[in-house]
Amino acid sequence: MENLLAFGCLVLTLVLYWLAKKLYRRTGNWWTAPLLAVPLLVIGAVVVGHIPYHTYFQDTHWLSWLLGPATVAFAIPIYEQRQVIRKHALSLSCGVLVAMPVAVMSSVWLARAFGLSELLQKSLAPRSISTPFAMATASSIGAPPDLTAVFVVITGVAGMLLGELMLMLLPLRSRLAKGALLGAAAHGAGTAKANELGAEEGVVASLTMMLGGIATVFAAPLIAWFV
Amino acid sequence: MKRLSDPAVKQSLATVLQVLMLSLVWLLASRLSHAYVPEIPAGVLGMFLVLAALALGWLPLAWCKSGARWLLAEMLLFFIPATVAVVQYPQLMGSIGLRIVLVILLSTVLVMTVTSLVVDAGYKFEIMLKRRKRQHGAL
Repeated sequence: MENLLAFGCLVLTLVLYWLAKKLYRRTGNWWTAPLLAVPLLVIGAVVVGHIPYHTYFQDTHWLSWLLGPATVAFAIPIYEQRQVIRKHALSLSCGVLVAMPVAVMSSVWLARAFGLSELLQKSLAPRSISTPFAMATASSIGAPPDLTAVFVVITGVAGMLLGELMLMLLPLRSRLAKGALLGAAAHGAGTAKANELGAEEGVVASLTMMLGGIATVFAAPLIAWFV
Repeated sequence: MKRLSDPAVKQSLATVLQVLMLSLVWLLASRLSHAYVPEIPAGVLGMFLVLAALALGWLPLAWCKSGARWLLAEMLLFFIPATVAVVQYPQLMGSIGLRIVLVILLSTVLVMTVTSLVVDAGYKFEIMLKRRKRQHGAL
């Protein structure tokens, strides 16, 4: 019975993901965005059905497992965009080197100011980078990776909603800056938005996201010391 | 029944094989990371291995491109199970959850502002450097 339920959870996750993706492509409404809709619906189903998390995770852990190979796969776009990296090495590295400390320190300081526990401060620290990098950083600084994954998703939704507003408010001249804004603050969700603006914005956003993720993983000992 | 020679079937078969290959690289990288460099997460180590293989010409781009594209395009699906873990933390409902969302919103605005202004300044500097180089070249 439990095995059947676990398998049902996997099927439910796959079907909801597929439906949300299709619906979002057709309508473009922000609330049908798979990033927001699928976790909410799956969490809703698990809560309503009183399904224990270990039952839910029994078969769906194969999906989580694929985050490992997905991290390896980042090598391909980085290699393909090596010309852009070379051309804009200065602005890209400035962007990454500034974005990452600002993201980590502001998350930790704000969490501390709002009286959140040390565990939550740690889990919030790597929230602005792509999920596999964020979860890897979380486990090396002693935060629960699944909690970090939740905060990464909330960050993505926040970036989707705030991105356009901030692009309007800030006096930015270059496409480079617009792409970096989205990629550094909102990882994959920001990169998707940047691709809607233009190809150059999209490439810069994905580069900022990937390089920022790698930089944060390597900075993990520093972050652990800081929190 | 579609034939194996059908280009669409061939393409998806290639994608599956490439995903398997990238998964093998990840397994190898986790062994390596576990044994020699526990400071570097397996995924990042595997990424550098593939990057090195591509740069040295040992691995043709065409052998991993479609698999990588699929893995990255569907990445959202892979982290949904982790987000469901939030049901294990009922204490995050209510005031604490609200404070967390506030932290994320404020920090996101800050990251967006600082990053984009710095990159814009860096871009202007890049253009200035290029212009100076060109002038030197003309002289």
